[in-house]
Amino acid sequence: MNETKPQVALAVRNLNFYYGQNHALHDISIDFPARKVTAMIGPSGCGKSTLLRIFNRMYDLYPGQRATGEVIFDGRNILETGLDLNILRARIGMVFQKPTPFPMSIYDNIAFGVRLHERLNKADMDVRVQDVLTRVALWNEVRDRLNAPAAGLSGGQQQRLCIARSIATRPEVLLLDEPTSALDPISTARIEELLDELKEEFTIAIVTHNMQQAARCADQVAFFYMGRLIEVDAADRIFTNPKQQQTQDYITGRFG
Amino acid sequence: MADRSHIVKSYEQELGQLRSMMSQMGGIVENQVALALSAIADRNEEAADAAARQDPDVDELEREVESLAIRLLALRSPMASDLREIVAALKITGDLERIGDYASSIARRSLRIRGADGQISLSGLRSMGRLVQDNLRRSIDAITQQDSNRAMEVWHADRAVDEYYTALFRELVTYMMEDPRNIRACTELLFIAKNLERIGDHATNIAERVFYAVTGDNLPAVRPRGAPATADTSEQPDR
Repeated sequence: MNETKPQVALAVRNLNFYYGQNHALHDISIDFPARKVTAMIGPSGCGKSTLLRIFNRMYDLYPGQRATGEVIFDGRNILETGLDLNILRARIGMVFQKPTPFPMSIYDNIAFGVRLHERLNKADMDVRVQDVLTRVALWNEVRDRLNAPAAGLSGGQQQRLCIARSIATRPEVLLLDEPTSALDPISTARIEELLDELKEEFTIAIVTHNMQQAARCADQVAFFYMGRLIEVDAADRIFTNPKQQQTQDYITGRFG
Repeated sequence: MADRSHIVKSYEQELGQLRSMMSQMGGIVENQVALALSAIADRNEEAADAAARQDPDVDELEREVESLAIRLLALRSPMASDLREIVAALKITGDLERIGDYASSIARRSLRIRGADGQISLSGLRSMGRLVQDNLRRSIDAITQQDSNRAMEVWHADRAVDEYYTALFRELVTYMMEDPRNIRACTELLFIAKNLERIGDHATNIAERVFYAVTGDNLPAVRPRGAPATADTSEQPDR
């Protein structure tokens, strides 16, 4: 990355997605501005998580799921066949709703992903582990037990560990699918604070059911309904004066 | 607002309660202004007393609206049109309270212009009073009906109030120059005119806030204004 960083990290164009016969996303076009937080909101089943999963080709794991259209990332359509998915997934990291630590030590949880993409000596790996744990504000809590199993951490700590693991491979985009829905308010606040810091460097796309969270964290908010993008705008605009009636109804709690 | 109801019924009820308190407050204040104007025009002392007596009710309603609005903000995390409506109510209630104060102030002053008012024509003040009353009524209608067009009308009509005020100012100064014995009554009348002009301004504020609450857009920062009077006669009424 250099001074001529792109303004748009991910450009989605006329994207359609199918789960077998089910047409889950209809002709979605949206830009994810670089180093901004874009929140995706909408009722369950509206397609927001589906969109997130397309960005790192998660759907390739399942037969019968297919996407048409374009998702331009770093000048290339990531929907193309022949793309190295391991590299793609290192550059576009993902964090899930429930913390998913690997059944190994805290240290290895982070080192594991890094080793797949980089050859670092022990000293460099130590630096990398400390760096990412510090950035997710976990270092002081775990520095004395790096070799303890990650499963022994609290839910909030595990989630921060998963974020640390995602950023350890130095991705450009970080995808978060309901990252705080299983966490208490303090852990949630820590993650939100973390997002504020991480967006200096990463482009963040977050799916959340928590409207206040979207309002607090996001620069841009996209509202999805029944597989369609209804409205996308600056967060303050969406939450004070949305243009579409459907957005208005959803965020004010009038959805029938 | 939209006739769509909230999924949470108690939220809808609280918003309904807020609206009903706003229109109740608007009704009292409108009545206070009518009484104050009647106190001047018909030399009606009872009306003057009645106008002043309603002040505590208005103050009480203002406190109630404020605490309900704060409750709604804290407990419901309102968004979009709800958020705009609640914040607007919080500010409008302050405007209404001020209008009530100005009306009381006019009512009290009306008692002090007895005797001297024979030589002084009150027709200009009456006309200005009617215009202000009309604007106030329209701005309160705009609140209760959430009507941005109505709000826009008030916003444009304030210029005429300002022009009346400027004309009255000149007229009253002329009376004072003609005969120093007029000075006391004319000074009171001048304050009354200024209070009316301030009521007009608050009605315009209300219109601007309703317009924002309904449309989400702001009216231009610069209002249509009449020519300014030649001296500053602004006065703060008792709270």
